[in-house]
Formats: sequence, structure tokens, C-alpha cells
Amino acid sequence: MNDHLILKKDHTLSLLRRLMREHRLVAPLRNRHGDTLFSEVEDLAGAELDLEHQPQASLKPFLFPQQETMFRYRLDGEGGYRFEPPEPGRPLLFFGVRACDLSAVLYLDVIFSKRGRDPYYFARRRDSLLISLACNQPFANCFCNSAKTGPFLEYGFDLQLTDLGDRYLVEVGRARGAELVGRWRHFFTPAEEADRKAQYQALLESRSHFQRQVHLEQAIRRLQADEPLPEELWAGLSRRCQDCGGCAYVCPTCTCFTITDQQITATEGLRQRSWDACTFGGFTRLAGGHNPVDPGREAVRQRFLHKLLYDVREHGRPSCVGCGRCVGICFGGVDIVRFIDLVCEVRQ
Amino acid sequence: MAGLATTFGSGAMTNSIEEIGQAQVILAVGSNTTEAHPQVARRIFAALDRGAKLIVVDPRRTRLAEHAHLHLALRPGTDIPLINAMMRVILDENLADDLFVEMRTENFLALRDMLFQMDLEAVAAITGVGLAAISAAAQIYARAQKAVICYCLGITQHICGTDNVQAIANLAMLAGQVEKEFTGVDPLRGQNNVQGACDMGALPGVFPSYQPVENQDHREKFERAWGVELPSRPGLTLLQMSHGGAGGPIRGLFVMGENPMLSDPALDKVRETLTGLDFLAVSDLFLTETAALADVVFPAASFAEKTGTFTSSERRVQMVRAAIPPFSGCRTDSDILMALSEAMGYRMDYDSPAEIMEEITLLAPIYGGMFHDRLERSWGLQWPCWNRNHPGTPFLHKYFFTRGRGRFMPGEHQGASEPVDADYPLILNTGRVYHHYHTGTMTRQCPALNRECPEAALEVNPEDAAALKLRTGELVRLASRRGEVTVRVLVSAQTPPGSVYTSFHFPETPINLLTTAARDPKAQCPEYKVCAVRLAKV
Repeated sequence: MNDHLILKKDHTLSLLRRLMREHRLVAPLRNRHGDTLFSEVEDLAGAELDLEHQPQASLKPFLFPQQETMFRYRLDGEGGYRFEPPEPGRPLLFFGVRACDLSAVLYLDVIFSKRGRDPYYFARRRDSLLISLACNQPFANCFCNSAKTGPFLEYGFDLQLTDLGDRYLVEVGRARGAELVGRWRHFFTPAEEADRKAQYQALLESRSHFQRQVHLEQAIRRLQADEPLPEELWAGLSRRCQDCGGCAYVCPTCTCFTITDQQITATEGLRQRSWDACTFGGFTRLAGGHNPVDPGREAVRQRFLHKLLYDVREHGRPSCVGCGRCVGICFGGVDIVRFIDLVCEVRQ
Repeated sequence: MAGLATTFGSGAMTNSIEEIGQAQVILAVGSNTTEAHPQVARRIFAALDRGAKLIVVDPRRTRLAEHAHLHLALRPGTDIPLINAMMRVILDENLADDLFVEMRTENFLALRDMLFQMDLEAVAAITGVGLAAISAAAQIYARAQKAVICYCLGITQHICGTDNVQAIANLAMLAGQVEKEFTGVDPLRGQNNVQGACDMGALPGVFPSYQPVENQDHREKFERAWGVELPSRPGLTLLQMSHGGAGGPIRGLFVMGENPMLSDPALDKVRETLTGLDFLAVSDLFLTETAALADVVFPAASFAEKTGTFTSSERRVQMVRAAIPPFSGCRTDSDILMALSEAMGYRMDYDSPAEIMEEITLLAPIYGGMFHDRLERSWGLQWPCWNRNHPGTPFLHKYFFTRGRGRFMPGEHQGASEPVDADYPLILNTGRVYHHYHTGTMTRQCPALNRECPEAALEVNPEDAAALKLRTGELVRLASRRGEVTVRVLVSAQTPPGSVYTSFHFPETPINLLTTAARDPKAQCPEYKVCAVRLAKV
């Protein structure tokens, strides 16, 4: 089968509506306050699909919610516990996912299967479909070109769409994408040579539109050198970290969590896991009160080294996908781009 | 607020928060900005990135002080001599903005006479700050084209709080650092809507929009609108109510969203007052220490459950919209008030929060153009906003001060209400931590915040800790003349020798058992920042 197809924009919503019968559709929607967020689409006709702006959060909350119930527990009256796992929902269909966010999902797949498959994550991920949208126009803080996760994807998607004006060029990635195309064959027509050329042209143009010059590889090489970074670099950044955790929360690849039990009544309760962040003091503080990480001087060290050094060692690539969200959210201006810039300035 | 009202005519930030990022010099006085106002600290960082100079005046070496080009670590409660000395340097170095002083201010001669009589050497002795540093700070501030002063509770929570504020206003006027964009005097308000509460007349002496109750025209306007007779004398301030004792000036009290049983000074006295009342009603989200003493408690709705406006520190009125309906049994503040009023025989007839706002636009001139439909479509409007077409006011006092001419109010040093002595040799300073909000009514319910900051810590300088043989993590008994608490020590060089520092968020460690009810006679703000204590190992 030809893996390059054309989907007319006029027919996109009709296709999505059919897919919604079996999937929960998640797409970038513009809400009434003017914010664009990945949201579950309840009513396709009433929703305002927004593929022009970067969604403020990534897909992470749909696969790994900010707070999720692992199970309910109940005393059964005979001295034992009864555990109730959460109900699985319908499979998810993600539409309009940018290359960076999709790359992040591939990273999450690795992380959540490292020590056995994480049942909560894979309950949502297993049957999900990813329809990505190649980035014709990168946003102000984007640097996926430097992180090598975009602006167009070569693998990882089920379908990748490229906007060619009145139509999308559709590339079929994984088997599930082929299955989808096969099932809804009448929506797609084979792509012409001219369409492929137009896509290549769009890719070249997109690469020239990045507003930031971020030298991620150079920074990684510097970090891999044996010589440690100057203490003052870490202290200068950490002093400005305002401890809000925003960077970890918007980061599509930050996956640290903490587990808490919440008692509801005398005989029942919940076990929940919720996002955590290595920049928080309580993340590393020990029971006696000692904190091996000095928040004033080292608060951001673990975060940046994990992304750019430890993950390179372990997985062969950094876990920063270049989405630029932390650049926009950081209170103190100590985002990863500033860190990369500072590292590049350090003389070897 | 009273301090800026007498000097400038308007008790609020003269700038917008965003403007701080463009200032060339920032003088932060008595503000632990990174902990208490991170959104302001972010603008200070932005200014620093643009090359601004930062001067921090604070007894403690705060996180912000680590960023400062100059940190004047004065002794607690010596702000007035320090600022007076800065003004003297400005005069001596010919850095005063003479044209501004001449055209825009009054009472300059009184200030000048006082400044020329002062003894700079004595200032250095009182404040503990060297003259060279004071002089450098004064010159950096006065020479800048655009300089901003941010101050906070380190200035106001003193027995001379109003005079402290006036000293700051004097300094700004003398250097001509008001009236322009990116230039001004900015009191940082702590709560999301404390500015709004003041604007709406939740003060003893004024109607909404700061219209004094003594003024007959204002009173008649409100009497016509509400169809009732209104008192012509100011009511009581918080401390006059809570420190009246059993059988004091009040017999009944309705407390909304406040927890004086943890936040007011000299808690024993507060308890005596509250338990001695004939009737106490409290409305709050959770059962606070105060609500526990009440005859009736109204469960109130949270911010996420109600529609209306909040007025932020920069005088910006912004819409909040109910995201979820109130929890079962809870009601919004306006609902509670209207039902109470109706039960007491006065029907309040409002269909919606928007209709309440329409009445505000009629009666409160500075809110004259703040209709909900305008606020809905924007990030809010900054008062004064006189009518529907007015764009709001990003910075105040352009061309003339609100009161006409700015008034210099010279003031002299006043010692703390309770100086240290042999029995109580340490100064207790109280403040806030990043992770908790006031009496913890809301933030102590959150497991993540409780993990970050589970209990109060008493900061003790390493020198004092060594002398007392204290280590971090040990429990100590901290006592003043009014009471004592047991608290865990954190040895920290952030706090200077001779003082200790802690927060008031924790009911387990009610630090306000110790603080003094001595207060500024004008604003009635208690001296939370200085009282004499001693500590001993448990």
C-alpha cells in the first residue's frame, strides 16, 4: 500500500467524528478564555479546534495524570482489605500532536516500561492512537530542531499529517495507522509526486523559521567531559529558582511522582500518585531533616543533568524534546535554554 | 496605607507590577520578595537581567539579598534613621530633584531642617549600617532615571509603621522618583484581594473608594443609595476589637475568612475577647481556630466556586469565574451576606455579582468604569477608572499627586515597643514562608505543601546557636513576656546575631502567643516584627 496519502481538510472532521465512536478524542482546543489546551472533545461541532498555537500543556496529563487513583481500599469487616482498581476508559485518540510532544510520549513509553510495565500508564497508552501534525511554523521558544525531535517526524506516529493548504499529506507510520487508513479508505486518496515535493518544501521552510539558536549537542558534549561545571553556575541558577515546580509540571518528559494515601472514612480510602519535582526541597529531604541537596545552590542540578546527561548515558539521547514550554513558564528565568546557553559559554 | 495616603493621597502601588522589570534601580525595603511575592521577584530578576541595580534593606540575609548589589542589613526597627540618612546624603551630594520638589510637593523646609540637624554618625550606631553603604545606596537610588521602591510588612508591622512609610515617600519625592512610568513607590500587598477589601471600605473610617464617613456629602450619597442612616464616626480597627478583652467595646462579632486566633498578636488576649463575646459567627472554608470558638459557623465557598472580582496589589480589578458549583452546603460570601441581611430585616436585591458591581460603579468613583462586561474581555482594569470609556491607570500621580501636592512628613527614630534586656535578650521577628499562606487554613490541607514545609522552624544565627549550644533540629522553648511555644531550631546565617525569626502559619506553634499588641497609633498595625524573647533547650 502507498504510505503517502491525501486527506482533504474538508473531510477531516467527518473522519474524526467516525473515529470518536471507538475512541476518546483528545485534540488542541481553544477555550473561551483564549487558551489552547489539549482537551477531550465531547462535541466536535461545538469545539474550537486550534492547530495554530502550541497547546499550553503536553499529552502527559492524559497518559500520566497529575493525580490519579491507583486503587480504592475498603475494610471488609473480617479484618481484611478489599482493593478496587480504577476502571479503564475507552482508548484514546490524540489528534494534532506536534513532533516534540509525540517524541515525549515515546520517551514515556521507555520510562514506564523500565522496571516492568507500569499498569496505570499502559492501561491508557496500550490502545491509543497518535495522529501527529508536522510543524510548518515553529513557535517562539521552540528548539526541537536542536533536540532532533522535529519539526517533522520520521517514526513513532500512527499517522503524520502535513498541512499543504487545503489538504493534509498523510504518512502512515505504525501498523495501527495502516489499519485506520484501511478501515476508512474512502477518506484518503493516493498522494501525487507534487504533494511529496510540497511536503519537502514545507519541511525546509519550517527549519528556517526557528527563532532560537540552542546548541543542545554542544552542551551535552560539555557535560560529558569529565570536568565538572563551576559551582557558581549551579548556585547562580538555583538562587533564582523560585521552587514552583512549573518546569517539571509542563515538561512532557518529567515523570517523577509521589504516592500518598488518603483516608475517606474510617473504613475506606484511596491510594493516589501525583506529580512530584526534583526541584522541591521535600523531594530529597531525609527523615531526620537533612537534605543532601542544598536548595540554595543545587536545586536545579538534578533536573538539568538528568535531562541532558544521565538520560544520554542510559538511553543514548537527552530527554529534553525542545518544546520550549519551561522557557515560557519559569518564574526565575532559569529554564533549560538558559542552562544550555550557560554551559556552552563555560570554557573547557 | 495611611502613610501613603497622607503623603501622596492614595494608599496603593503607584506602578504596575510589570513596570518593575524596566526599572534601573530597585530598592527593596522590608520585603522577602522571593518567598512572599514570587511574581514580583520575577520582575526584579528581569530588571537585573537588563542591568538594573538592586538594593535590599532587610535585617535578614534573604534570598533576594543574595542577588543584591548592596544589602543594608539594618537592626530591626531602624528604618527611619536609615532612610533619613539616605536623604541627607542626597541633599549633601546635590542629588535632590529640586524642580520636582518645588513644583509638586509641600512642607519641604520642615524635612530639610530636620535632615540638617541629624547626626550621621549616630545613625550608623543606631542602624548598624556603615555610612559608606548608606551613602552608596542613596547615590545609586537618586542618580537613576527610573527607580522603584518596593516595600512590604517589614516596613509596616512596626510601632512606627506609618512613619516608616512616610519616610519612604519622602525619599521618593526628594529624589523625584515618582510620577513616571517604571518609577515609584510600591507597597506589595499580601493577599489576592486585600487591596479590593480596602477599596470597598473594609476599613473603619471610609466608605468604598476611600470616601471618609465624616464627610456629609459622601454619607448622604450612600444613605440615598441604601435607604438607611449611616454612622458619621469611624468604627473600630481590628486590634481595638480583638484586644478589648471580655466585656470590651464589642459584644458580638462576625468574622469572614480571617483567623485572628492565630494571626493576631498576644493570642491570650484575643481568646479572652472572643470567648467573652455574647455572640460570635465565623464564615470560612475550614473549621479554623477562630471558627472553633464560634456560636455559628457558615461554610463558605472557595475562589473556584464563585464569580466576582479580585483587586490585586497593582490596583488591577480582575474577574474570577466559578469553575465548579459550590460544594454541597457551602455558599458564596455574597450569598451568605445577603441571606443574613434579609434575615435581619434588610432586603438586598441583587440578581448577580455583575449587578453588585454596577452599584459599585455608581458609588465608588475610582471603580466608575469597572463593569463586568469590560473586565470579562480583558486582563482587568487598574483604578482609578472613572467611566466606561476610561482605559484605567497603570501608574499613579502623573502630573499631580492624588492629594494635589505631595506632602513631606519628616519623622524621627522611635525605639521598638519592647527593647531587649537581660531577661529577654533576643529580638523575635516573624514573617512568612513560601509554602504556606497566612494561618494555613487552606495550605495546611495540601499534602504536597505540608511535605515541603511540615512545621515551623525558628531561625537562629550560628553565633547565638553556638553560645546557647543549639543545633538544627533541636526543640527549644521560646518565651516572651506574654507566652511561650516549643519550636524546632534551624541554625541559619540568614538571620542576624541577636535575632530569631519564624513564621506564624502553624497552629501547633502559635507564635502570636508571644508577639506584642503594641501598635502603630495611626494605622493600628501591630508590631509583629519586633518583640523581646528568650530561648532555652527543652
